[in-house]
Amino acid sequence: MRDDLRPALFGSALRDRMLTRLALSQNGLHVRELARQVDASPTAVHRAVIALEHAGVVVSRLVGNSRVVVLNRRWYGAVELRALLERLAAAYPEIRERASRYRERPRRIGKPL
Amino acid sequence: MLAAGASLIDVEFAACTVLAQAGETAVLCGGSAAAYYVPDDYQSLDVDFMLHVGQARHTVDRALATLGYERVTEGFYEHPVLPYALEFPVGPLAIGREEVGSWRTDRRAHELLHVLTPTDVVRDRFLHYWAWKDESAFRVALAVARAKPREVDLDAVRAWALRELAADRTYDPEEIDRFFNALAGG
Repeated sequence: MRDDLRPALFGSALRDRMLTRLALSQNGLHVRELARQVDASPTAVHRAVIALEHAGVVVSRLVGNSRVVVLNRRWYGAVELRALLERLAAAYPEIRERASRYRERPRRIGKPL
Repeated sequence: MLAAGASLIDVEFAACTVLAQAGETAVLCGGSAAAYYVPDDYQSLDVDFMLHVGQARHTVDRALATLGYERVTEGFYEHPVLPYALEFPVGPLAIGREEVGSWRTDRRAHELLHVLTPTDVVRDRFLHYWAWKDESAFRVALAVARAKPREVDLDAVRAWALRELAADRTYDPEEIDRFFNALAGG
């Protein structure tokens, strides 16, 4: 990601990737999973979540011991932001590909993928 | 400097007043605004203010320091002896997609308090429930609507909810009827 030449619309390449990935999610992602999906460290993602949360564009909540992050649908520009991010996803085929393979619905333990 | 025995209302009026004197318009919003109208139904130790104009951090810091409040993180202030924290979410002041351009201003002695109108509090708390399924926000929206029947414009609430729904079809339309049915049911 360090060599990513795509423009950083939201302040950094990491934020772009995180927001794009979150726009492809219905229920949000745990910080650790989000970090895995955008090729970044959980610490870096956590820091970016704090900044984006302060800006109001994402919200997070504790589930067990980990934090789940989701786009803030109450934010006044949420509809437009999601539409933009869904367009932006075309510039991140690797994220879109991972998102398409990531299953958000519950799945019984032991059931084959 | 606010004394140890200051109440939540004291803090709200004092903070709004010193900010106004510093040229900043801070409007009580979120759950704090709901608690202002229905204190028996909802309590919070966090005071949410939305700064309508200005938002100069050093100005806010200096103004709140005169009350004893100190910034601990971005937009979050604590007092050495009072349990009430002041929080300043990033604006604009909006409920869902719609910006809020007017609010109510209450006065007592030489102090003032800007606060969302009861209609906007009902919209805000209902949206909180609609977006996050927070049942307590639903109950608070109902409580404010019941407590302020002459001040809450229910037609405006319904019309706004339908506009939100038209913009974002992921919201469940049946929740609008659920709210109004609950209100009619008493």
